[in-house]
Amino acid sequence: MAIKLDLDDIQGLIARGYRTLPHARFTIFTAQDPADAHALLSWLLPRVTPAGTFAGDSALHVAYTAAGLRRLGLPESVIAGFSAQFRSGMTGPNRSRFLGDVGESDPHCWAWGGPQEPPVDGLILLYASTLEVLEARRAELASHLAGLAIRQVTVLDTLELGNNEPFGFHDGISQPIIQGLPKASGAAPAGTAGGRVVPAGEFVLGYPNAYGQLTDRPLLPVAGDPRRLLPRDPAGSGAADLGRNGCYLVMRQLEQDVDAFWSYAGQATRRPDGSDDPGARTALAAKMVGRWPSGAPLVETPDRDDPLLGDDNDFGYYQTDPLGLACPLGAHIRRMNPRDSLDPQPGTDASLAVNDGHRLLRRGRSYGPGEGTPAAAGPAAAGNNGHAERLARGDVAPASGTGLHFICLVASLIRQFEFVQHTWLNNPTFHGLYDDTDPLTGSRHARGATFTVPASPVRRRYRDLPQFVRTRGGAYFFLPGISALRYLDQLPASARSASSPSSVTR
Amino acid sequence: MPHQLGITIRAPVAAGRVADLRDWLEQIARKGLAEGLFDFTHLRGLHFAKFYLLDETADLDGQRIPATLVFMSEVDAPLRRHLAELIDLAGEGIDQAFGHCTGYPGPGAQRRSRIAWLRRHMIPARAFYVNTVGRGLEQIRQEARLRDALEDYLDQGDWADHTAIAIRRELRTYVAGCPSLAWARKPPPTPSLRFRAGEAVHMVAVPLVLTLLLPVLLLVLPAWAMLLRLDERHDQPFTERPTLRHLEEVGNYEDSATQNPFAVAGFVRPGRLRQLTFRAVLFLTDYGVRHIFNHDSLAGIKTIHFARWVPLDGWRRMTFASNYDGAVEAYNDDFINLIWWGLNATFSNGMDYPPTRWLFLGGAKLEEQFKNTIRCHQVAVPAWYTAYPELSADNIENNAQIRAGLRGDMSPAQAERWLSLL
Repeated sequence: MAIKLDLDDIQGLIARGYRTLPHARFTIFTAQDPADAHALLSWLLPRVTPAGTFAGDSALHVAYTAAGLRRLGLPESVIAGFSAQFRSGMTGPNRSRFLGDVGESDPHCWAWGGPQEPPVDGLILLYASTLEVLEARRAELASHLAGLAIRQVTVLDTLELGNNEPFGFHDGISQPIIQGLPKASGAAPAGTAGGRVVPAGEFVLGYPNAYGQLTDRPLLPVAGDPRRLLPRDPAGSGAADLGRNGCYLVMRQLEQDVDAFWSYAGQATRRPDGSDDPGARTALAAKMVGRWPSGAPLVETPDRDDPLLGDDNDFGYYQTDPLGLACPLGAHIRRMNPRDSLDPQPGTDASLAVNDGHRLLRRGRSYGPGEGTPAAAGPAAAGNNGHAERLARGDVAPASGTGLHFICLVASLIRQFEFVQHTWLNNPTFHGLYDDTDPLTGSRHARGATFTVPASPVRRRYRDLPQFVRTRGGAYFFLPGISALRYLDQLPASARSASSPSSVTR
Repeated sequence: MPHQLGITIRAPVAAGRVADLRDWLEQIARKGLAEGLFDFTHLRGLHFAKFYLLDETADLDGQRIPATLVFMSEVDAPLRRHLAELIDLAGEGIDQAFGHCTGYPGPGAQRRSRIAWLRRHMIPARAFYVNTVGRGLEQIRQEARLRDALEDYLDQGDWADHTAIAIRRELRTYVAGCPSLAWARKPPPTPSLRFRAGEAVHMVAVPLVLTLLLPVLLLVLPAWAMLLRLDERHDQPFTERPTLRHLEEVGNYEDSATQNPFAVAGFVRPGRLRQLTFRAVLFLTDYGVRHIFNHDSLAGIKTIHFARWVPLDGWRRMTFASNYDGAVEAYNDDFINLIWWGLNATFSNGMDYPPTRWLFLGGAKLEEQFKNTIRCHQVAVPAWYTAYPELSADNIENNAQIRAGLRGDMSPAQAERWLSLL
C-alpha cells in the first residue's frame, strides 16, 4: 500500500537512529512555571530535527509526559484523548506488576521517574557527530536553561555508539522497516520474516496501523485550533489532529550487571575438573541472547560464531528451528520478536501479520563510565566477539553503573511496548515454557529463574538464574509532530477556547 | 474422570448492604480464597472460583435491576458434592458472602437449608467452554507432579551418550519404580458412561433436528439475514473509552498469576430479532464448545481454561466470564485475530458493540473500538481462586502428552519428539 508520510512534520528520531551521530545526551526536565515551559519550547522548536533528508552534525528532539503537556496548558479534555497508559504513567502498582518492575526494579528504588522522585515533564534528546559538537549543543542548552526555572531532573549521558551493548553483543540489528520511509521501497517483500515492512501507523500516529485503522489519538474540535496549526484528522471528521505525525516514546534506564552475567555463564559451564571452558561460556551466553557476540543468529549458525553473519536478519524460526534446538524458545531475541512462531499458523504470513502488531522501533543508547564497557570499545569491537571474550575472561573489568537507556517508539503503548514486556519477555509460560522469563532481561521475582536450552536427545535446564538487568528509571513520553509542537507552543493564547468543547477521539 | 461443571449462583444484595459487601470483597481480595474462610484448596475438583458484584442499574426501559452478587465455580462433577462442600468446608466464607444477600438463611440455619438456598439461586450458562472436557483437577495435579518428577530425574543424569529410546526406557523404568506415580502408567479415566452417552445423543440430535427443519430454515434464513442487515445499518461506532479509574479498579485484580479471571456484563439489544438471534447463536455456541472445540483449543485460542455465557434478568442482560492465560490485551488480540467471527456473532447482539456486517464481519476487527467496549463492560473480579496458578493451558496439555507418551512402543523419531515435551 502506497503511503505518504509527512516527513517535514515527523520528528527525525522516528526515521533514523542517528548512526552518524554517535554521541548523545538525554536531559529529563521539569518546569516549575508554565511560562518557563513555554520559553523552553519556543527555544527548542526551531532546533527540532524533522524526518526529511538529513546531513547535519547534530540533531535535537523533544518529548513530553502527560504532566508536561498539562504544564503547557493542554486542557484535560484533550489529554483524555491520549492512551490510558500514557496518562497514568509507568509507575503505579498495577503497571509495575505488569511490567515486572518489582523487587529491585521497583519504582520506589529508581534514580529518576519514580513516585518519590521529582516529577518529569519532558525529555530533550541531543545527538552529535563528535564530542565537541555535543559539548557545544549542551552548553547552548544549559545557558538557555539557566535563565529559566527549569529543573534538570537528570542528565543521562551515553557512550559513543558502537555495535555492541554492554554484555558484549552486537545489538540493534533487527528493526522494523516503516512503510513510507525511503528504506521501505528497497526492502524485501512483506512476506519475509526479517526485513519486513510494517505499516506506518504502528510507529506514527495518524496513519493506518497493522489492523488498517487509525490508532486512538487526541483530536480536538477545529475551534480549539484557531490558527489552523494542526493537521486535520485523516479519517475526515474535520477535527484537528494533535496526534498525527507523533508517537509514544518509552524511556527506561536498564542497568546491566555485566559481571553477574559473565560470572554466571562461566560458573554454569565449568568443566568437571572445575576449570573454565571459554567456548562453552560464550555458547551459553549466546543461547541466552539468541545471537553470537558478533550478532550472527543461532538459527543460522548454531554451533559457532560467524562474524560474516553479524548483521543477518533474514530468518524465521518455524521452518528451521521449531523446537528451539538452535535458538532456544526462550532466548532474548526469540521473545522480543518471535517472527513466524506465533499461533494460529506458525510459519505463515498470518503468523508474521500477528507479529507485526507487536513491534518496537528501538532507539536506545548504552551508558556507563566508559571504561570496560563494550560500547566504549566503539566500532572497533564490531563484527567480532573479542570484547565479549575479554569481558568473560575478566581482562576488562566490567564497569559498574552500566546499562542501556532503552528507548522505543510505538503508536500503542499497551499493544506494543507493554505487551512485549509482559506477554513475551517476562512471561514464565511463553511458548510453552513453565518457569522461564527472558534469560537476559527478565524479572526473577517469585518465578522465572529457569533457562531451558532445548537439545537432542534431552534439554538442559539452568536453574536459579540471577537477575541481570534492573530498571533504574523510566517514563512514558509523547514525541509530537512538529506542527503539534507549534500548537503546544502557542497554547496559552488559545487554551481557553480549546478547553470548552470536549475532545473527540477516534 | 468426571466431566466439568460451570456453577453460577447469583443473588440480589440486601437493601443497604452494597457498601458493606464491597468492603468485604476488598478484604477477601487481600486474603484470597485458597485458605482461611473459604479454604477452597480443600474442595474436591475445584479448578477456579470467583465472586463479583454487579452494581445496581436500570435496564433499557428504565426498570431498576438491583445489585447482585455472582459466584462462579468451575468444578468436577458431581454437583451435589460441590454444593455440599461449599457449605461443609467453605461454609464460613459462603455464609459471609451471601449473608449480604436477601434471604440467605445464615450460619445458624441448617446445612440442608443453606445448600437448598444455593441451589435455588443457581442460574444456567447457555454455553460453557471447557479447555479439555473430562480432564479433572486430580489429573491436572497428578500430571504436573509427573512432569516435575521426570524433569528432576533428567536434571540428575548425563544423557549426552544416550539415544532417545534408551532415555525413554529409563524414564519409564523410573516411573514404574515409583509407587506414587503408579497411576501414570495407565491412561486417565474418561467421564462417566452416562455423561458420554448424553453428549453423543446431543451431538447427533441437534444436526438431525436442524436437517428436519431445513426446508423451514431455508425459507426463514434469507429473510432473517436481510432484517439483520437492515438492523445493522443503524449501528453506531463505539466512541466511549474506559476511564482511568475503571481501568485501575479492574486492573487491581489482574496479572498476579499465570491466569487471569475475566468477567463482562452488558445488555442484550432490544427487539425480537436480536433476542432470537442471540439465543440461536448461543445455542450453536453451546453445540460448538461441546462437540467441536472440546479439546485444547477454542477455535485456535489455546489460552482459555474455561468460559461461559450466562443470560441474566430474563435475557435482558448477559454476563460472559472466563479464566484465561496471560493479560487482557493479549486475550483481546487473540479474540480479534483468531475468533473475531464468533465474538461478532455473539456479542453484536449486545449493546455498545462495534458495528458488524452480516453478523460476522467488522465488529471485533475494529480493534480499539472492540477493546474499549470490552474494557468499559468489564467487571472487577476482586475474589478469585485458581487451583493451579502456575500452569498455563498449554502446560496442562503438554503434561497430559508427557503422560500419554509413557505408554506403548515408539520409533526413535517418536521418542525424540516425546522427549522434546520435557
